[in-house]
Amino acid sequence: MRASAITKRPVVTMSGEDVAQVKDIVYSAGGGAVGGFTLAGRGLLAGPMDKGLPWSSVKGLGADAVMIADEDAFEPLDQVLHTSSETAGGGAARADVLGSQVLTDDGTDLGEVVDVIVAVTDDGFTHCDVVGYEIEASEALGQQGTKMLLPLPDTLSASGEHLMVPASARDFVRQDLAGFGAAVDDFRNQLGGQR
Amino acid sequence: MLFSEARGRQVVSTATAETVGVVDGFVVDPSTHSVLSLELRKTHGNESSLRWSNIAAFGTDAVTVGDADKLTEPGEDVEALSGKDHRLVGKRVLSSAGDELGEVSDVDFDPSSGAITALLLGEDEVEGARLVGVGSYSVVVKAR
Repeated sequence: MRASAITKRPVVTMSGEDVAQVKDIVYSAGGGAVGGFTLAGRGLLAGPMDKGLPWSSVKGLGADAVMIADEDAFEPLDQVLHTSSETAGGGAARADVLGSQVLTDDGTDLGEVVDVIVAVTDDGFTHCDVVGYEIEASEALGQQGTKMLLPLPDTLSASGEHLMVPASARDFVRQDLAGFGAAVDDFRNQLGGQR
Repeated sequence: MLFSEARGRQVVSTATAETVGVVDGFVVDPSTHSVLSLELRKTHGNESSLRWSNIAAFGTDAVTVGDADKLTEPGEDVEALSGKDHRLVGKRVLSSAGDELGEVSDVDFDPSSGAITALLLGEDEVEGARLVGVGSYSVVVKAR
């Protein structure tokens, strides 16, 4: 699902109370996974909260809500932000990839990141992986200005400006989310085979 | 039996054959998936709560109780599960995976035990055993 679709989603306890809403996504592992969420209160006038939600406490991430057991799932905001930036090894830990230019390792500009695509892996909900970026395509992809989905390898190098992806990622670009999961798997399998 | 069918049913004392109240609402305990007590109106005194365990029979035409003294003030446990925030009907339903399934239109229960057998969501149905919690925002049910 698109990361932009997760923000503003209510955070609901298993006893049916909406205790917060997602303000922003905190990325960990150098932007390769979702580490947690920053939160805002519910309601028009509610501001940001001083607590965050680590991914490890999320019980469900669906189309309509983020589910948690109860409010004990929240941790001090610093802690949620800190754990993530520690593993990131740089300043690109937060959602700063938006607007970054995607370059292939052979030096082609593929376009600019407009959204992040995340997926929950099947292994018992332990991991929420960043599997791709939605990019506004450059000329190199042949359809300048259109939005396309670019699968990502397990790990990639990112600075504030550029994101570096293997050149073969171009072959797995998709137009919409249907079938994108399979494209990500194919792409990663192909990369795995090379090693 | 549906909540909508049971509402308005008379509560009659088997000792005096008098009507002691009328069924007005249901207090559900999500942890046991069953009706904990009934809320009554048109009672003679201030006692308007009838615990499920105090019901003699939940019949097709009336609810019977031993005597009017089976009606009590709502206890702490009942109080904690009463009110609009804990009502099922009219509330949105979320699965524990975070997907909205619909809105509760009615509730089906077993009149012999008080167990919630199903939540009706318009055309759809969710087994009562999947009920996890009921709060101000939504009803939560186990994802399949």
